[in-house]
Amino acid sequence: MSYKVSEQGNISTVFLAGEIDMDVADKAKGIILPLVESGKEVHINLKDVSYMDSSGISVLIESHQKAEEKNTKVIIKEISKSVLKVIMMAKLEQILNLG
Amino acid sequence: MLITESKDFTVNSESLKEIRSFSRDVFAKRDIPQELKDDLVLAIAEAAQNIVKHAYNGEKTTDKMKVKILFKKDEIEIGFFDTGLPAVPENITHRNLDDIKPGGLGTYFIKEIMDGAVFKKDQKGWVNHLVLTKKI
Repeated sequence: MSYKVSEQGNISTVFLAGEIDMDVADKAKGIILPLVESGKEVHINLKDVSYMDSSGISVLIESHQKAEEKNTKVIIKEISKSVLKVIMMAKLEQILNLG
Repeated sequence: MLITESKDFTVNSESLKEIRSFSRDVFAKRDIPQELKDDLVLAIAEAAQNIVKHAYNGEKTTDKMKVKILFKKDEIEIGFFDTGLPAVPENITHRNLDDIKPGGLGTYFIKEIMDGAVFKKDQKGWVNHLVLTKKI
């Protein structure tokens, strides 16, 4: 997995790329959660994520829940087809903010 | 004609990528829909992840696990062998999907994708032998 973070005002956008599995889930969390904890609105761009398993989905859930705690938002952007399928399999399309 | 391909992997999270790669290579040779291949790769990776997480509690080990993919006439059978803690099938459940929290989805994905998941008692030299099946 690789990533890039861009900042614009109070919005941080995290561009993730590659495959997100158990092996890199902590790394992804370590990128996203501090941004959420700082109270920023965080956009997670998944356009270039070709594969995500249950560990990756857990990162999205944890980020979403942390944002609710902090009164901010995590919005998931440009979801690749393969990741959307997994999100839908987990019945999370109405729970996560898909932008 | 039965065709079997198998490979051993070290039990750790770094191996998950190799397991996916092995599975994709095996399925690439078969005439089955790409969507099904992707689903099977996810189910295989989730089952392997469960071995790392639960049979070994995520602890470092040099132990190996074996992934065996068997093509039958109208079914794909995927075997997982490991020498971790004995699995207790009755305790393997997924979380309630309405209880939104991180974790507990891997087993649910396996159940959604596969037609069958059973621990067999024929594991010579192994502790656990999980068999996943999918009709094709």
